[in-house]
Amino acid sequence: MSALDEKFLPPGDLPDLHKPFWAHLRAHSLRLQQCEDGHLRFIPSEQCGKCGSQAWTWEPVSGRGKVYTFTVVHRGPTPAYQAETPYVIAHVELEEGPRMISNLIDCTPAEVRIGMPVEVVFDDVNADWTLYRFKPAGEG
Amino acid sequence: MTGKFGARSAVIAGVHMTRQGDLSDEQPASVYWDVVKRALADAGLTLADIDGLIGPAPEGVGLRASLPGGVMADLLGRPLRFHASTAVGAASIAAGVGLAVMAVEHGMADVVILPTVSAGKGSGYTSSDRGAAIVHMAKLGTPYEWLWGTTRVADHAVIARRHMHEYGTTPGQLAEVAVAQRHSATLHPRSVMGAKGEITIDDVLGSRVIAEPLHLLDSCLVNQGAGCIVVAADDRLDRGRPRVRLLGYGQAHSYLDPCSAPSLTTFSGGLAADTAFGMAGVTRDDIDVVSLSDHFTINVIIGLEDAGFCKKGEGGAFVEGGALRIDGRLPTNTFGGYLSGTHAGQCGAFGLIEMVEQLRGTAGARQVKDARLGYVHGVGGVMQNHFGAILARD
Ligand SMILES: [Zn+2]
Repeated sequence: MSALDEKFLPPGDLPDLHKPFWAHLRAHSLRLQQCEDGHLRFIPSEQCGKCGSQAWTWEPVSGRGKVYTFTVVHRGPTPAYQAETPYVIAHVELEEGPRMISNLIDCTPAEVRIGMPVEVVFDDVNADWTLYRFKPAGEG
Repeated sequence: MTGKFGARSAVIAGVHMTRQGDLSDEQPASVYWDVVKRALADAGLTLADIDGLIGPAPEGVGLRASLPGGVMADLLGRPLRFHASTAVGAASIAAGVGLAVMAVEHGMADVVILPTVSAGKGSGYTSSDRGAAIVHMAKLGTPYEWLWGTTRVADHAVIARRHMHEYGTTPGQLAEVAVAQRHSATLHPRSVMGAKGEITIDDVLGSRVIAEPLHLLDSCLVNQGAGCIVVAADDRLDRGRPRVRLLGYGQAHSYLDPCSAPSLTTFSGGLAADTAFGMAGVTRDDIDVVSLSDHFTINVIIGLEDAGFCKKGEGGAFVEGGALRIDGRLPTNTFGGYLSGTHAGQCGAFGLIEMVEQLRGTAGARQVKDARLGYVHGVGGVMQNHFGAILARD
């Protein structure tokens, strides 16, 4: 079996400052970095792009947001993804402001619209990793 | 107080574009020397004249790959006076034209080559294996992008979708870009898709959907080939040689992570263009011909908006009715672009090479009438890194 027969997982060499994000996900908590001035940011980084602060805490966020933009992928990068086409990749604008990219699941691609309310779901893909995805809000 | 440099003048003196398509049976180093020699010959120069390099050497792994200047010294049997690289993604070699002119005008080099080569079996984005190249390009971003099964097409599809949402841009307007550029490609003897003939808007809209709303014919080629540009001191060239001058140049770097991008419909192409136009002292209305990175049809619409050729949000309407054709209102990507011309290696080089041909008046059947002033805009990544350059014939 080739490496491309399985979907990608986060790389083993993630920088240390990224690791709390994934550890919190493992506990089914979505937390983003917040600087001393209250600016939330994503993806993990060493400095706040709004104020230059290099101090942060990992703050829980609602996981609720709206679809900012999306695509329906018909040609995936590898056989593992190609087996699941068509699938949705959405940029989600969280209620708290930052945008996150992930799959939008539990809906048919034709239903997806910009502005559609969504919420995070935690996907325990194996013994080590929990991924974040989104689904339409207010179901289940 | 005035500066210390800039006493003499540099020009774009030579260009060459090899056969484009499948070069998997060729040796990369052979193709490299071939394209470099031909571009030098185009300037009336030879290998003995090179003293500067922007970009890679013909070969090298490990340390040799990361130190191309030294490798070239090994291979030429004498030291180079100048090496540099830029970080404008796929437009890095073309973006080097600004540095090359500065190096020559500041007396740090006399003859600088800017080569790009994609040949042989290759690896990564230059792999002759299309599937391997697509996987490589799908993972150019961070895990926060590629975990979800993105591809380069999907990365641009979300931009196209957002542009359609904010400004009402239509799939038919996107298709206009591909149709105009295919027409130009049919007039370029070395374009990859020219031999396939013209296409219509319906052909684009009827082609396979890769990542909604982008179709196969909204997407660039994945092919091999080589190109080289030579920048030289004016006084090193014979009197009769054609000279193309750089009148203005600017760069801009928008963002790296798409979640951090302030907008997914406006990028920093305008900043690069403003610097270039300010330096050149010309206006957008003065421009006769444009080369603008077109990895996908949406890039051209946003690129023309950002660079100031039309208002933000009006790019879709601007490209309608064949406006980008050779005989159109603003001839753009007249070699066919990456969509139908060639998309090989550091592909930005080919837009620059075409611009030099247009300004020299040597573009043959695709010659834009009275092309005197051109704007070249190169983009790296997903609208992340930009350079703009204004070129004029002497
Ligand atoms: Zn801050």
